[in-house]
Amino acid sequence: MKRQWYRLDNAALIFPAVMRKNWNNIFRVAVTMKDRVDPDILNRAIEDLLPRFPTIFVKLRTGMFWYYLETVQDAPVAEEDYAWPLTPMPRKKLKKCCVRILYYQKRIAAEFFHSVTDGTGGMIFLQNLAARYVTLRYGTEIPPEGSIADLTEEPKAEETRDCFQLCGAKASVSRAEENAYRLRGNPEEDRFRNIVTGIVPTKTLLEKAHEQGVTVTAYLAAVLAMAVLERQKQDPPRRRKRHIKITIPVNLRKTFGLKTLRNFALAVNIGFDPLLGEYTLEEVCRLMYHQLAAETIPQRMAGRIATNVDLQRILLLRLTPLPVKTLCMRLVYAVSGESKGCLNLSNMGEVRLPEAMAPYVERFDFIIGVQYSYPNNCSVVSYGGKTYINMIRGIRESELERLFFSRLVEEGIPVEIESNRR
Amino acid sequence: MYCIHCGVKLQENSGECPLCHTPVVNIPMPGRQETAYSDRYPVRESQSGKMILLGLVTVILAATALGCLIFCLKSRQDVAWSGYVALGIALAWIWFVLPQWFRRWRPMIFLPVDFAVVAGYLLYICGKTGGDWFLSFAFPVTMMAGVLTIGGVAMMRYIVQGRLRLMSLLVIAIGLSFMLIEFFQHITFGTPMFVWSLYCVTVFGLIGLFLFAASFVPPLRAWIRRKFFF
Repeated sequence: MKRQWYRLDNAALIFPAVMRKNWNNIFRVAVTMKDRVDPDILNRAIEDLLPRFPTIFVKLRTGMFWYYLETVQDAPVAEEDYAWPLTPMPRKKLKKCCVRILYYQKRIAAEFFHSVTDGTGGMIFLQNLAARYVTLRYGTEIPPEGSIADLTEEPKAEETRDCFQLCGAKASVSRAEENAYRLRGNPEEDRFRNIVTGIVPTKTLLEKAHEQGVTVTAYLAAVLAMAVLERQKQDPPRRRKRHIKITIPVNLRKTFGLKTLRNFALAVNIGFDPLLGEYTLEEVCRLMYHQLAAETIPQRMAGRIATNVDLQRILLLRLTPLPVKTLCMRLVYAVSGESKGCLNLSNMGEVRLPEAMAPYVERFDFIIGVQYSYPNNCSVVSYGGKTYINMIRGIRESELERLFFSRLVEEGIPVEIESNRR
Repeated sequence: MYCIHCGVKLQENSGECPLCHTPVVNIPMPGRQETAYSDRYPVRESQSGKMILLGLVTVILAATALGCLIFCLKSRQDVAWSGYVALGIALAWIWFVLPQWFRRWRPMIFLPVDFAVVAGYLLYICGKTGGDWFLSFAFPVTMMAGVLTIGGVAMMRYIVQGRLRLMSLLVIAIGLSFMLIEFFQHITFGTPMFVWSLYCVTVFGLIGLFLFAASFVPPLRAWIRRKFFF
């Protein structure tokens, strides 16, 4: 295969700069099949996908001024899953391949370094991997429709481009905003990650959100914000009551009508000031819904893209050697990178598969890793009438999850809980 | 099977609720159940490569220092200039190589050691050159630099609230320290006072006072954040 290289897209620039020995920004998408996974067939499926997804099968390389991605020559080999998701992907591994394919019993998982793609891109890749696996394992041809690509075709130019460079507005939007409350706890040993999955019926969740007149994302963000607020009330009284804000990554593909397999999402922080008074869930739902709607209009998103892209285009900055740039980015990230939100809530939405593929697939999961400085994150995906809410944490205390899921139960949504804790 | 405390449905093989840790009584034991995650733990990344590199750097530095010492002792029967080289190498090793042996950089331990070593090195130079500038100039200036650096680092790492106010005080303190440096220069070397330090004090003082005032005025504070965020 021809060796190709790609500049990091605008959103991807920060991730190699801020990664540490035991932490980097990675996420996982997983599909659970109806039968146990055959690793040999899975490896053949990975090899078949290699030429069609050149921006996914890449390794991280270091240039004089920037990091860049280079296509790998050999497909990564699937390995058995670990006791917890998103084990660190050290620099040594990223230099070989930035994506990791794992299997365990009936589950196939793909873990990505965030410089490669975002959740949506990762999910498209996983669906294609699962489709190829189904074809090889059961002989069922999956038609190239929806997210499923035609593997005989060449990769499309629109899939490999950095869409941030196309969508910036002429004016930029300031990034200044209030710092958010910081969740804390006792770190787990050996970087163990607790994962608690709440499985809820999508229909009931939708009904509850519609009762409040809001979207599912706004509803879940409101319930999560209420849980964080309760958690904040348990803190010693002298600790400052900072804003409760939830960070919501927004998929820009729909906003700008573009298709890419690389990063094309921006995060918005929505929330409220707890010092202004008491809040009910109804009020927080409305607050979240309207803030989200106001923040995600295309014009504002374009302005925020311009803020990021303009910075990247400054000649002096571009000519600064990579180690200096890395140092600066690390400093900036340490000071303000993770201080604007309490935790992420990333809602992938509903996964739709071709009819021919549906009988072989049981469920999907989407998990984002914890940030460097805050210990909880939440990610959501729906499939087959169920919504899978994955809450990951790097601390021992499960109070936030308890408050969140028990609130959903109180609201009349049945929750089934799974955990990797033994 | 439901948790009696949270009301959530639990996996059939759960021994306790993963949310509130309420134990499950009468756990059904239908034999081996499938778990959501495997028993495989990631292998810890080996530190050996880094340790070998650090060891190699240490050996090269030690050999250079020792080589210089032996050369001087053999050729001049005296430590001569090799003392500066050997101690300079030791100083560089303590500043840059020693912290790498530790998993975490602990500034409150390393920084005092670093500045103490610098003071020691300057004491050696002072003694060797027969000068009398150590106690009245080098030592107080080194200590002052150490205190300001440690104070600044401690502020950035450990203090969350009121950073702007503390930063303004630090900037003023840095400005005043230039005046002290000129004072020590004056009493040690007899140079005239207030030649250059007043400019530093004025610039740093004005910046410090502006930041201090801004910390009490929310709109000004917001303006600084908006204009100077990075």
